[in-house]
Amino acid sequence: MKQNRTRARAATGTALALGLACVLSSCAAPASESGSATQTEAAPGFLAVADDALTGSGALTVQLDYDTSEADGLDPQTAQTARSWMIMGLVYETLVTTDENFEIQPGLATAWEQPDDTTYVFTIDTAATFSNGRALTPEDVVGSLQRQMESLSVWSGQMGPVESIEATGADQVTVKLSEPYAPFLAALANTPAAILPMQEVNDGSVDLTTTMLGTGPYLVDAHRQDESWTFTANPEWRGGDDLAVQTLELQIVDQESTRQAALREGSAGLANFVSIDALTQLADAPDARVLNQSQSDFYYVNVNSQTPGSPLEDQDVRFAINTAIDRQAIADIVFAGETAPTGVTPSNLPGACSVDALPSEQATIEDAKKIIEESGAGDTTLNMVVYTSEPVMGQIAQLIQQQLDEIGVTVEIEQFDTATYNARVFGAPADFDLSVGWFAGYVDPSMVTKWWNPEQALFNAGYTGVHEDLNELITAGASETDPEARAEVFTELCATADEYSEIVPLVHRPSIVGFDTAALSPTIQSNEGYGNILRDITEYRLPAAE
Amino acid sequence: MLQTLRWSAGRVVSALITLLGVSILIFAAVRLMPGGYEDIILGPLASPEERAALAAAYGLDQPIIIQYFAWIGQILTGDLGVSFVTQSPVVEELAKRIPVTALLTVMALFVTLVIGIPLGIWTGVRSGAKQGGAMGRIASGFGISVPEFVLGSIVIFVFSRLSLGIQVGGFSNIGSGFGPTFQALLLPALVLSVFCVAAAARTTRDAVMSVLVEPHITAAVARGETPWHIVRHHVIRNAGIPILTLLATVTAYLLGGAVIVETIFNIPGLGSFMVTGLDRRDFAVVQAAVLFAATVFIVVSLVLDLITSALDPRVAVTGKAGS
Repeated sequence: MKQNRTRARAATGTALALGLACVLSSCAAPASESGSATQTEAAPGFLAVADDALTGSGALTVQLDYDTSEADGLDPQTAQTARSWMIMGLVYETLVTTDENFEIQPGLATAWEQPDDTTYVFTIDTAATFSNGRALTPEDVVGSLQRQMESLSVWSGQMGPVESIEATGADQVTVKLSEPYAPFLAALANTPAAILPMQEVNDGSVDLTTTMLGTGPYLVDAHRQDESWTFTANPEWRGGDDLAVQTLELQIVDQESTRQAALREGSAGLANFVSIDALTQLADAPDARVLNQSQSDFYYVNVNSQTPGSPLEDQDVRFAINTAIDRQAIADIVFAGETAPTGVTPSNLPGACSVDALPSEQATIEDAKKIIEESGAGDTTLNMVVYTSEPVMGQIAQLIQQQLDEIGVTVEIEQFDTATYNARVFGAPADFDLSVGWFAGYVDPSMVTKWWNPEQALFNAGYTGVHEDLNELITAGASETDPEARAEVFTELCATADEYSEIVPLVHRPSIVGFDTAALSPTIQSNEGYGNILRDITEYRLPAAE
Repeated sequence: MLQTLRWSAGRVVSALITLLGVSILIFAAVRLMPGGYEDIILGPLASPEERAALAAAYGLDQPIIIQYFAWIGQILTGDLGVSFVTQSPVVEELAKRIPVTALLTVMALFVTLVIGIPLGIWTGVRSGAKQGGAMGRIASGFGISVPEFVLGSIVIFVFSRLSLGIQVGGFSNIGSGFGPTFQALLLPALVLSVFCVAAAARTTRDAVMSVLVEPHITAAVARGETPWHIVRHHVIRNAGIPILTLLATVTAYLLGGAVIVETIFNIPGLGSFMVTGLDRRDFAVVQAAVLFAATVFIVVSLVLDLITSALDPRVAVTGKAGS
């Protein structure tokens, strides 16, 4: 069945590949050639490993595509975007962290025990101090986690059913949950769960919205919104004197071509790119190396089932559309084979469901055509809303438009800036038929699956329905702690969400990182869940000054 | 004289009315755009209550008329409001960025004056000659037809591959010294000036050609005056008014073009600030920046009109420059 589906698309795929890929990559050499060459891991789980033989220290300039703009200022607990988490994560630390395999590792907690399914006992690193010189105490940990739970921010929901947080020793904090919650440690591993200087927060001497005061390796020296951040090494950091990057300047450079130019000419040591084309466009730069870090983030298509009178109210029509969307073709053509398809659970996370097993992947195009024909859905032109700030959205939309044309569904693409897109898609009522967007994938599948429950994820209530069977699976996936049993739940969950076809996952969102080999030897993990391209900055090595 | 004063006063009043109209247009345009600041900053994950609270905190839940009069009231007291994103007074934000854009614009204008006008005079004088005329037309046609974002992208591509001692995309603040700032603005200013040089060359060429066919030029030739003397004493003076008019247009164009060039070259000036503000629905920033640009254009136009009327008093009488 799957073979028929693939063969039926071979001709179209080839034609599209020749046409669209040429446009997307400026007719450069196929990205897969250079791309695959650059993606050879330096060590298992690492795209690059810093060269310990380098003994230099000094400044590093990093160019990023945009700055953060938090409504609540610099408070990490309310930070909503991966960029904020990364920047604030230079100053703040969390109890635990994640490694290259998405496994939880010690952070400010040197160890933890789990006497039962709902109790976590953390041993706090008493050598840690805040940058003002004060030692970290269990009370800081308790206060920080309680503050997060009381904040009602997005992340407080990700922390799960926390029942109590108590200091149970001079270096010990115990957290009790009301029921088992598998993503608990994963939620603790991200910046919104950062440990804050609660003594100073409580006595009013520190305002977290304007001042960053953490236990992390860097201090904020200067910030000009949308222009730059300057960080300097925190002398109090318990990591010691082994920090090669003593000064870090994050320059905000909106244009991808300008960031490429900076990397070529050496005015930036490291830069991020959104377009996969950077892999080929920088391939001939002698000192630049470009890597494709695999993120758990993924693109999706929303299929609005809630507009009265829309053919998309019919689940069969939505499923036919889902069937016609060829995820592998999107990965191959739009992303030159540099990414991979995914289901509801990000395919690079442990226990994720298999994309090939999804009902829509098993179905045939002929079935989809028949449903569209019989339903009369082909008589209606559907709009597909995308935003312009990430050009690849439009390219994905174009390919889906052509894929749906194969089953007789006409799609008109409408491109808007982000604010307009948000108003159209997340407004009440939602004003679109189809839309393209992306979710952060995090480091535990259950942190993402909850977005399929509109009673928890209020933002999608305007275009998705409430399905009790799906919601039960989402809850079961979060509370099941046995890996094998959990994987079975995810398989069923992915299939059920696939059949409802209201939010259709497509492919992973690549994260392209380039660096100047003459100026920097970084450590970069192959996988990333919280969008933190500077995760291992404390491991970076610099050449000694000549 | 009285007529000229009355005409000048009328021009000032019409400039103020234009400014008022621009303020209404800007305000309505940015407020009627779909999506608000709260949608961008809080993102889709935030609850409706959180969004409503943020909108209320910035007065965005008030009727648009009330918001407009509040804004105008602020402006009349010299307060341009607070940037939602940076939380700094817009006046302070503009003060950091206007000098950058001003320097970029002045550099581009300088290039326009130094290259465009002499080129126009030269091609106008040599309009009869095949080589000069053709070259001028090709150069100005190229300059007018290639948009800044294309030219800018090409320049970035070329200069990032060929190290010619000119840095791309590494802007230095004016506070760090004029030299590095000048160097950082050189390529953007050249890109920005291309259209203006071409437009200035064309306008000047046409003006020169229209003067060259007039009887007093024929008389000057008959008197045996040298070509250079004729150009200096008869042609430039008479072609001055259309060139002055062009300068007003070029100023407006440079401010508009700066938006694109600053964004491409990552220059933290007024243009890129305005684009970011628009993207984030940072209304106070967009309104203030557009109003500033409009004010500059209106004032420049007004000043040039007054200079024109001084050069040719018939302008104040008929509203048209004499030929």
